[in-house]
Amino acid sequence: MTYDLEVIKPGLETTIQDWPGLKGGFKYGFNRSGPIDHYSFRMANLLVGNHPGAPGLEVQFIGPTIRFLSSQKFAVTGADMEASLDGNPLPLWETLSAEAGQILTLGSAIKGARSYIAFSGGLKANYFLGSYSTHTIAEAGGFDGKKLEKGNKITINPSSVIEKLTLPDKYQSMFSNNGQWIIEIVLGPSNDWLSEEGIELFINTDWIVSPRSNRMGIRLEGPSLKFSERAKNKAPEHGSHPSNCVDIGYPFGGINICGDTPVVLLNEGLTGGGFIIPFTVASCSLPKLAQARPHEIFKFKIISVEEAQNIRKNINTLCESKTLKS
Amino acid sequence: MIEFGDDGALELNFMALGLMQAIEQSEIAGIIDSIPSYNSLLLEYEPDKIKLPDLTEEIQNIFDSLGPISDIEINSRLAYLPCCYLDPWTKAAIEDYCLKVNEREFDPDFVARINGLEDKHELVRVHSNTEHWVASIMALPGCALMRPLDPRCLLVSPKYNPPRLWTPANAVCTGGMSTSIHTLRVPGGYNLIGRTPVPVYEANPTSDAFRNGVSLLQPGDRVKFVPISVEEYKYIRSQVRSDSYQYNTTDYSKFSVKEWEKWSLSLTNQGNTNDL
Repeated sequence: MTYDLEVIKPGLETTIQDWPGLKGGFKYGFNRSGPIDHYSFRMANLLVGNHPGAPGLEVQFIGPTIRFLSSQKFAVTGADMEASLDGNPLPLWETLSAEAGQILTLGSAIKGARSYIAFSGGLKANYFLGSYSTHTIAEAGGFDGKKLEKGNKITINPSSVIEKLTLPDKYQSMFSNNGQWIIEIVLGPSNDWLSEEGIELFINTDWIVSPRSNRMGIRLEGPSLKFSERAKNKAPEHGSHPSNCVDIGYPFGGINICGDTPVVLLNEGLTGGGFIIPFTVASCSLPKLAQARPHEIFKFKIISVEEAQNIRKNINTLCESKTLKS
Repeated sequence: MIEFGDDGALELNFMALGLMQAIEQSEIAGIIDSIPSYNSLLLEYEPDKIKLPDLTEEIQNIFDSLGPISDIEINSRLAYLPCCYLDPWTKAAIEDYCLKVNEREFDPDFVARINGLEDKHELVRVHSNTEHWVASIMALPGCALMRPLDPRCLLVSPKYNPPRLWTPANAVCTGGMSTSIHTLRVPGGYNLIGRTPVPVYEANPTSDAFRNGVSLLQPGDRVKFVPISVEEYKYIRSQVRSDSYQYNTTDYSKFSVKEWEKWSLSLTNQGNTNDL
């Protein structure tokens, strides 16, 4: 096997992901994994002539240092980690080139939290449940099911010659400049376990992103919620706390109320358990969750399922090569 | 999410699995995946292929065609899993918790006591004397959520609060009304009662007993735990490591809810609930 990349420093947690991730795994206890900021990830791939879902790297908070072992086209999107090639600063959101021996460095995120690196042709990775994504809990897919380590060598699939492309400014994501994020959510499945007052409290609260957050979920700090009669007077098998229920499946992006702590379930989150899910984050807001930093503020906004699906459709339409400019 | 009722009656899970089975056999476009649970079924669908009102109508039609719960039949097989009850490894996890978090009674003693059983050895007899129904695989890869099919063997216990820091992989544990096998070394809240030497989840299983290539069990399967000693545990572990372990499962057959209800009712009528 010939190798095209060598990891000199892995960064905090750098993994191979593809989009949309694992298929048909929910029934067997696997969440989908894949990139949390699916928008930046897809754009990175389009910039290097790949299918939007092709395997690339997700980089979290502190970036890796990677040596190119062959000449390659690549692109960096998402969070600004002051990417550089042999020490020369690199722009985000455009097709870039590197020669064998050159060193790509991503530092600490100065804006956002997660960057994505796509390589023309896509990365070679382990295939698991219909995906090349790393599922770190299951230790499957991606690079032997693990985050990258120093010395790992990766192969890039062959690609054809591509032109240099950029993503126009107006389509570049979606960052908060004041540390506040509006997160679109839909009601359900367990919204009737909160009282009307409880739902209002949830919507009117400035929730603080806890540093104890990862690819499984984002913990939020804020007030105790208020529950409905259904949560307070229930069959004993639901458990004693108002947020306890007979085990249910958890939707992707579900907001899980664990006692008094809401946890937004992300790509490697639990697929079920005994706590209610009164709200679910609309897929259009997942990229914002990916880019929020600890101690920033979430304000939630309820939209209808139909609205959520329309926004999703618009984003999917944007994630096509015609959005890019040469 | 489709809810079938507001309690934990096993019949509601039969409805969830019956509906899931019927949906899988149907030609509805756009359904990607599903998570059944005790009294609900969560479906994931592709909104570009089907609109929510159409999907709701299709599912209502399928549900109506299922008829009464007792008519439901579910594809099921029985897996015999060796279990080293009262094992030293889960004991170490409990002791570590006592040392670092909270002093507590040894889990098997605790579960036996609050269920009115004589001691932990009776707990082992009760727990291994029934087939356990796999209601769902959830939370973790291959992690089965099970309920005893013999109502006399139902054990109820509150979960750890705060949760345990770690659980040995393949620990057999009980919490609420459920039994579960924690497939990975993770934190957890269930009471630990034993450990199986046999993995029920593997990323790359060599045995063709695994469904869909990853999970030994699937919702609707049944598990019978076979008590083994520590020596047998070690022997089976060595077989698992050398890929020579043969999983013991029956072929698939139809599990009839009607037959189960009849049997279950006859036990209750004899008035010997929880009296093995």
